Amino acid sequence: MRNPSPDSVDAIHINTFKYDRRQHMFGLIGHSTSFEAARRKALELGFDHIAEGDLDVWCSAPPQLVEHLEVTSLTGKTIQGAYIDSCFVPEMLSRFKTARRKVLNAMELAQKKGINITALGGFTSIIFENFNLLKHQTIRSTTLEWERFTTGNTHTAWVISRQVEINAPLLGIDLSKARVAVVGATGDIGSAVCRWLTQRTGIKELLMVARQQQPLADLREELGGGRILSLDEALPEADVVVWVASMPRTLEIDADRLQKPCLMIDGGYPKNLDSRVAGQGVHVLKGGIVEFVSDIGWTMMENAEWQMEKPQRQMFACFAEAILLEFEACHTNFSWGRNNITLEKMDFIGAASVRHGFSTLNLQGQLQAAAA
Amino acid sequence: MSTLDSTAVAVLDDQQGLAELPDFTTDAYKDAYSRINAIVIEGEQEAHDNYLSLGTLIPDQAEELARLAKMEMKHMKGFTACAKNLGVVADMPFANEFFAPLHGNFQSALKEGKVVSCLLIQALLIEAFAISAYHIYIPVADPFARKITEGVVKDEYTHLNYGQEWLKANFEASRDELMEANKANLPLIRSMLEQVAADASVLHMEKEDLIEDFLIAYQEALNEIGFSSRDIARMAAAALAI
Repeated sequence: MRNPSPDSVDAIHINTFKYDRRQHMFGLIGHSTSFEAARRKALELGFDHIAEGDLDVWCSAPPQLVEHLEVTSLTGKTIQGAYIDSCFVPEMLSRFKTARRKVLNAMELAQKKGINITALGGFTSIIFENFNLLKHQTIRSTTLEWERFTTGNTHTAWVISRQVEINAPLLGIDLSKARVAVVGATGDIGSAVCRWLTQRTGIKELLMVARQQQPLADLREELGGGRILSLDEALPEADVVVWVASMPRTLEIDADRLQKPCLMIDGGYPKNLDSRVAGQGVHVLKGGIVEFVSDIGWTMMENAEWQMEKPQRQMFACFAEAILLEFEACHTNFSWGRNNITLEKMDFIGAASVRHGFSTLNLQGQLQAAAA
Repeated sequence: MSTLDSTAVAVLDDQQGLAELPDFTTDAYKDAYSRINAIVIEGEQEAHDNYLSLGTLIPDQAEELARLAKMEMKHMKGFTACAKNLGVVADMPFANEFFAPLHGNFQSALKEGKVVSCLLIQALLIEAFAISAYHIYIPVADPFARKITEGVVKDEYTHLNYGQEWLKANFEASRDELMEANKANLPLIRSMLEQVAADASVLHMEKEDLIEDFLIAYQEALNEIGFSSRDIARMAAAALAI
């Protein structure tokens, strides 16, 4: 395996030349949010026969390059992209081999199409990581070149960190006096957000919540601070809660026990926090979402299930990372593996994000609606 | 976005790892192998004969086609050795019957001088079927067969490529006949996959994998020839729907 993570911005630039290819092409590997949604989408796109098939049919359906895109940066640079649907649906999560095959086949397709840098969206990167797909570098006659793929987690972590910094003050929360809880603190995104909040944001106290205790203790040592708490202990103390773990289906949050105001950033996948806790004084913001400066003419994102208010320009930050890397001609697996996200890499991708026309999703719209 | 429900992860963590090898010495394995191996041998024999026949329809390509046919014969011998190595006798009557419908369709097309249909059956369908099955077989094959199959796969890509290139060069003229031949023959491939599924599973080859990998190879070829992805999805649907 070629190593993922250049340690500094300089190193990233060196890789730029190494992997520069003739065409400017980024890729997004996505999937529908449910089997039903996938069938509807297939019908819309004219894939009638597959749409009518049952889950077994979908389990054997190959990945499809469903759409070509064109994006123009604020800098004026235009790049091409492709959206690949892996034909995975969350109902396949319990079928380990199927899920694995879907991800690997979609990655193979991206590589065969000559795409320089492809983001693994939605469950794709989760499956890659949790099922340890690094062991499966050879797909049929193709050896996957890892440097062509990114999880997009660095951009997601930067966006979530910025969402904390921008939105807490909008609610009257002074971050220098605030306690911020990160639920899922030891994950790839969670640990990066903890690093940023500790070293860049200057919050009063970091509350760290995660399932496994040893990685938490290690992270605390790395950060030189922060308090390790259970979810139950952390929630009533936190002025800001960043969720980067998926919640157990049975979890109930008692809004009465939360600080008022409380900013909750839902950075998990899928996003399901809203319905559970939003209420008087508790503001839920979808985390890790960005908005592009202009409409992107894509149909795949116009999918109600993603719950984007402006699907023509809003997207997951992980997808946007592939776009940014292509704009920067930075053809490397920028986000890869676990706990490789440095502040320098967040700076790099954050600067690119702003330069090319992305902004973070913020509360403003929601606050105005509430005030009206 | 790296989160996943904890219980799901716990279950899945246990299943990580590469394909587990079957026990090649059991009666169950040898019994299943006697049919799978026979299919492979018969398939290579059919391929050999079909390429020679195609040479009569495209005389200026006869030499190249004879070369392909010769390779298929070499493969057939390799796979015969695989059965011998495991002490298995290939069930050739079963394989003959297995290939009969497709064989019949090829022969009718040949008689009518339909080059396009013949190429679709042999150079696209059978080759894509073989390539996908060999790829799935390789990680779970015994060491002897693994080596042989790895060598064969490389050759089969050239054969798929041959049909692809010819059809690409004659795409507009071939288009309608390709659609028609696909409709008549793809369901046969699907039912062949169904027939072989139980035996393949004994060899640790899953039906789901076989279908998807076949479709990937077939779609890739159709795409290369000039079909749009929507056309291909329609054409491939015949293999997915039972």
